[in-house]
Amino acid sequence: MELSSITTAAFVAGTVTLGAGTTMAGDVELFHDKGFWSEALQQVGDVAGELTGNRIIESAYAAPEQYKAFIQSSAASGDMPDMFTWWTGGIFEELVSSGQIGSLDAVWDELISSGDFDASLRDFYTVDGVAYGVPLHLSRWVALYNKAQFADAGISEPETWGDLMDAAEKLKAAGHTPFHATAQDGWRGFIWFQEIMIRTNPEAYKGLHDGSVAYDSDAVRNAFQIWSDWYANGYFSDPRSNEEAADFARGKGAIYLIGDWAIGLVEAAGMKAGDDFSAFIMPNQDPSLQSSAILEGGPIVLSKAALDKPDVVNALKFFVSVDGANAWAGASGNALGNNNAEPPNSVVAKINADVAAKGTIALNRWWEAVPAELQGEFVAEFNRFMLDPTMETAEKVMTTIQSLNADYWASQ
Amino acid sequence: MSNIEYHLDLEAIARREKKAHRGNWLAMAGTILISAIWIVPFYYLATSIFKTTEEYSLNHPLSLPSSVTPVMENAVTAWSNAKMGTGMMNSALYGFTGAALAVFIAALAAFGLSRIDFRGKNYWFMLIFAGTIFPLQMYLIPLFFLYQKFGILNTQFGMILFYTAICIPFPVLVLRNYMNGMSRDMDEAARMDGASEFTVFHKIVLPNCWGPMTATFLLQFTWIWNDLLFSTVLANRTEVRSIMNALQVFQGSYSSVGPNVVLTAAVIASVPSILLYFILRKHFMEGMRVSGA
Amino acid sequence: MPEINDNIESDAELLQRVGWSGSGPEERHQRKRNFWVAFAFMSPAILLVSSVLLVPVGYNIYLSFTKWKKFKGLDEFAGFGNYERLSTNPFFTDAFYNTSIWVGASVLFPLILGLGLAVLVRGMLFESLFKDIIFIPRILAPTAVGVLWFYVYAPDGVVNRFLGLIAGREVDIGWLYQDNTVTPAIIVTFVWQTVGLVMVLILLGLNAIPKDPIEAAHMDGASRLQVFWYITLPLLLPTLLVVTILSVLAGFTVFDLLWVMGASYPGQRTLSLAVFQYFEAFQKGSWAFGSAIAVVLGIVVLTVTWTQAILQARVDRMIR
Repeated sequence: MELSSITTAAFVAGTVTLGAGTTMAGDVELFHDKGFWSEALQQVGDVAGELTGNRIIESAYAAPEQYKAFIQSSAASGDMPDMFTWWTGGIFEELVSSGQIGSLDAVWDELISSGDFDASLRDFYTVDGVAYGVPLHLSRWVALYNKAQFADAGISEPETWGDLMDAAEKLKAAGHTPFHATAQDGWRGFIWFQEIMIRTNPEAYKGLHDGSVAYDSDAVRNAFQIWSDWYANGYFSDPRSNEEAADFARGKGAIYLIGDWAIGLVEAAGMKAGDDFSAFIMPNQDPSLQSSAILEGGPIVLSKAALDKPDVVNALKFFVSVDGANAWAGASGNALGNNNAEPPNSVVAKINADVAAKGTIALNRWWEAVPAELQGEFVAEFNRFMLDPTMETAEKVMTTIQSLNADYWASQ
Repeated sequence: MSNIEYHLDLEAIARREKKAHRGNWLAMAGTILISAIWIVPFYYLATSIFKTTEEYSLNHPLSLPSSVTPVMENAVTAWSNAKMGTGMMNSALYGFTGAALAVFIAALAAFGLSRIDFRGKNYWFMLIFAGTIFPLQMYLIPLFFLYQKFGILNTQFGMILFYTAICIPFPVLVLRNYMNGMSRDMDEAARMDGASEFTVFHKIVLPNCWGPMTATFLLQFTWIWNDLLFSTVLANRTEVRSIMNALQVFQGSYSSVGPNVVLTAAVIASVPSILLYFILRKHFMEGMRVSGA
Repeated sequence: MPEINDNIESDAELLQRVGWSGSGPEERHQRKRNFWVAFAFMSPAILLVSSVLLVPVGYNIYLSFTKWKKFKGLDEFAGFGNYERLSTNPFFTDAFYNTSIWVGASVLFPLILGLGLAVLVRGMLFESLFKDIIFIPRILAPTAVGVLWFYVYAPDGVVNRFLGLIAGREVDIGWLYQDNTVTPAIIVTFVWQTVGLVMVLILLGLNAIPKDPIEAAHMDGASRLQVFWYITLPLLLPTLLVVTILSVLAGFTVFDLLWVMGASYPGQRTLSLAVFQYFEAFQKGSWAFGSAIAVVLGIVVLTVTWTQAILQARVDRMIR
């Protein structure tokens, strides 16, 4: 009968497509939510296949929230992917507490003894004394700057806070916009907030992340005041752009505070690293404070089950090896902290040199440090401030954030 | 007396005619103005896809493009960056399979509901129709979990399963009403000759229903093609994503493409809907009538 | 010679007409057999709809009474805890308020504009062309429309330039970035997209109205406005009611436009209950809480649809 043949065909088709996307033996899948790095990751994956026989297949989820949901519910059903990316900070601790992530202590021992990685980096990925991740990428948040506009204003890289204010004034006088910042994609609002906080009061900044410092405390109010004053002085570019990197390349702002992974994007928009733009680490307001920079380092983690799969472990080790790091740097312009690998571009090399010279310490990025479930609501408030940067808005923003913050910490 | 009335009537009619004429000019002008405003976004779209990113950022949004060649580059960038090929194939698969299966299954059910006499018809109909009265939000979380549990999250099978199910109730309503209005003579004659119910369905009723079946197929296909929410939740991976999902991701992505490329992507994603509409306009209108009935 | 009988009446109906009750053992047996045959026909539909749609709704309601522990799976019964949280959640209140505004506007504006356009365009020269122009946005996907209008509303986009032309100076409003402009702006887009359908449906309704009463009224000297108000509009009521029901459902669950166009608005999560639910469930991972929001949305939608269904039945009876 025709009906049954149709349904049979449908079920067969269904089971066939169910199996779509199966991999070959020796292939390892890497799940992530960074679609813009899909091609670069696959390039590294192909190199891995050539050199080790374990080809890495990248598998991208579109949105971070979708991806988080996928990982969370796969943990709940006990069926985690073998190898996937995640975030550091509170959300890393949550993942570890699921009990389904494998310890990478053995891997780290090798990495440190070979001199590829610093022991201090291991701490970044350690929870309760055990290391659970290796870097997917390691980015410092630096101030990219437009060399031509700096020359035009007759200034050089600011070494002190006073230099920075001076630079802003001179840039304005020369007809350029000093600071470049947008509210694009809904997550960037925290960037200048975190920077101003760590430059004025790094202890308070750290206190924000464990609930000991309130978001409507004086330290935060002070930061908002500075931020608001800068907007009032006309130092900032229009936050309503949707093409941040391209705008920087077009000269819409002279100083662009962003993770060094954006260097690739700026180059794609037409500027050459080193020639057209370089980078410096922002100075502290109090010169007696230690030089610091925000460090962002998403980890790759393995599920507990994957520890028993040599293919997966080999693929992981390749990714952070010198060959892997070089492939990754070449494909995406990202570094991952391997001391023996080539810096991906001259700007990162320069920053590495600066960091070594100043003894710059690493601070956790706000995005990872803030409790995961508060991230979205808080950053929306920061965006709100950027779009209407008055102290009046700041007061409302601080009140809203603090009430959510207080509720969260009270229920912990 | 009647003369006077007749005379007055003429004048009234003449006055009304003249007012109608003037009214018509005004109405026409108003309509032209409104139509012009309606078209402006399309005009903006049409001019933008022919500009390069530089050209777009430097000029007035409604300015004419300097040449038509950039559109090829825009299209290629949009196509590859947004992975539109995969998106289109997926949406086409979901649309054709889902809508076709749904309409066929609905015809089966409608036949049962309208041509066969049995108790509690209406309750069974309500059961099937109940699939469509809840807001879509009530399906999201449970389906996400259930799909995960049964391993059909991020599969084409899973998407087709959902799309088929959600597209069944409405055609059942339409086809049931339509079949109710069909003459039963041939049915009875065939039954008396010993034909099975399925033969009656297959050989007699179904062939007469192509009109409403095509109309509902088109409506459901369009719904599936346009879907963003369920693809985002149930099939987010690049390989199984729908076209609208791909478009939305592309628009919100980190890549440094300009609005001209994103708009080109929007146009590419809409081409099938537009083609479908123009080729099958008659059936679309039929579908509107049928859904309003 | 046997008479040709065009009557639709079947044997069963004939029997009923002449007084056979049709509830004797013969008939009941026939009906029982019929039931299973009919069930066979309905079974694919029933199976799919129950398992893929109805069971999940039940699961959703169950979930709304639980507490979710991240990474560990669903936890124990939490009673009405989620619902209590809803009542104190400021975002929920805002989202509820905005949803009401959205539904009201998305029903009212297309209706009024659609009615006006239908009356305006009817019988005019080039009627088909105008109908097409106003209808075409309807065939585009809401996502594509949202992407297009996102750029139309950009600070240096079409709308601001046009306003600048009128005002004579540069206009720089961030339509999709500010509290007081974001919802009106998206409503305009929504109307742009959907008026065409409303207009077409109303035109169909207008064409279905018999001409005699209208002509008679004209003869009696009634003005066009009076004819419209007292005769056309009441006869149009069923059509208008259908349009309203469709618009209400669409208004409550609109997601694509708000998702795409509201992406740069800091308060995006409060634009509507549907968006709020997505944020809570899929951005924050509060599954149980998100289920509760979905249930609330379900109750609201069902109540409104139920009320409208009753209204429609009453209007139908009135017309008859």
